[in-house]
Amino acid sequence: MTDPDHDIEQALASLRPRAPGPAVTARLAHELDASSSRRGLVIAWSAGFSALAAAFVAAFVFLGGVAESAAPNYQLVHVEQSRPDVQFFRPVQMNDGSYARPVRVRWQDTTRWEDARSNTRLINYRPNDQFTLLPLETN
Amino acid sequence: MPDAHADQDWRAWFAEHGARLRLIARQWTRCEADADDVLQEAFVRFWKHQRHLPGNPNALVVTSIRRAALDLLRRGDRRAAREKVVGDDMDTVTWFEPEADPRLAALADSLKLLPAEQREVVVLKVWGDLTFDEMGEQLSISPNTAASRWRYAMEALRKHITARTHD
Repeated sequence: MTDPDHDIEQALASLRPRAPGPAVTARLAHELDASSSRRGLVIAWSAGFSALAAAFVAAFVFLGGVAESAAPNYQLVHVEQSRPDVQFFRPVQMNDGSYARPVRVRWQDTTRWEDARSNTRLINYRPNDQFTLLPLETN
Repeated sequence: MPDAHADQDWRAWFAEHGARLRLIARQWTRCEADADDVLQEAFVRFWKHQRHLPGNPNALVVTSIRRAALDLLRRGDRRAAREKVVGDDMDTVTWFEPEADPRLAALADSLKLLPAEQREVVVLKVWGDLTFDEMGEQLSISPNTAASRWRYAMEALRKHITARTHD
């Protein structure tokens, strides 16, 4: 099946559009050259800035690394010892015949440390539990 | 984003396609000088922002031409009130190189008889290498509408050529 429009389409395609004038071509070439050189300039500036930024980062890491290497300088700001909890037990007889009273004492020690530079806080909480025998004197 | 056409010599590309691109610009502008301005602006815009995109650059350049032409028309509309811009120059014979064959010369001349929306479909298909789908996207119409405009245009051109032949 032949396309009836094909002959006209072919005839149209054989028409030769006018080429852009030399002024257009020249302006275009100038524009492309200018853009390329601007782009080159941008790349050069970018490379310069990148190198500068890299130097700053390196310096920051190096100098910052020295400063950061110091451990946090915690100062003791608060100490607290809780009221002891004392438990007395029934007296027991020892092997030597004497008597003693078992006593259990429990309390908590809390210390608080602060680093003003980094504004950080360290709390040390330590529970204590001791068991002892108090000798009893018998008359 | 990697440049999909890193090896492309764009000056050579423009030298090869410049004439048909200028024709596309011409049918959307009011005069030859505007066509040159639009073509230059559109190609530079494409070259700066879109030349690295993958695919055939032709459709992108055509889109860029259309945008530049619309921008110029909008500016021209504002300018027209105070400058009395020269009216539409639709002597389509001047769009092409002179033809020795009278039938071809008549065909070039008959393009001006087409309604603008049919003429742009003809130009975009024959010299823009666009499909009806691409034309639809370009002109914000359906591909079927583009195809029917093409058929009407072919019919009108055939009638005109036949009538001139019988004269």
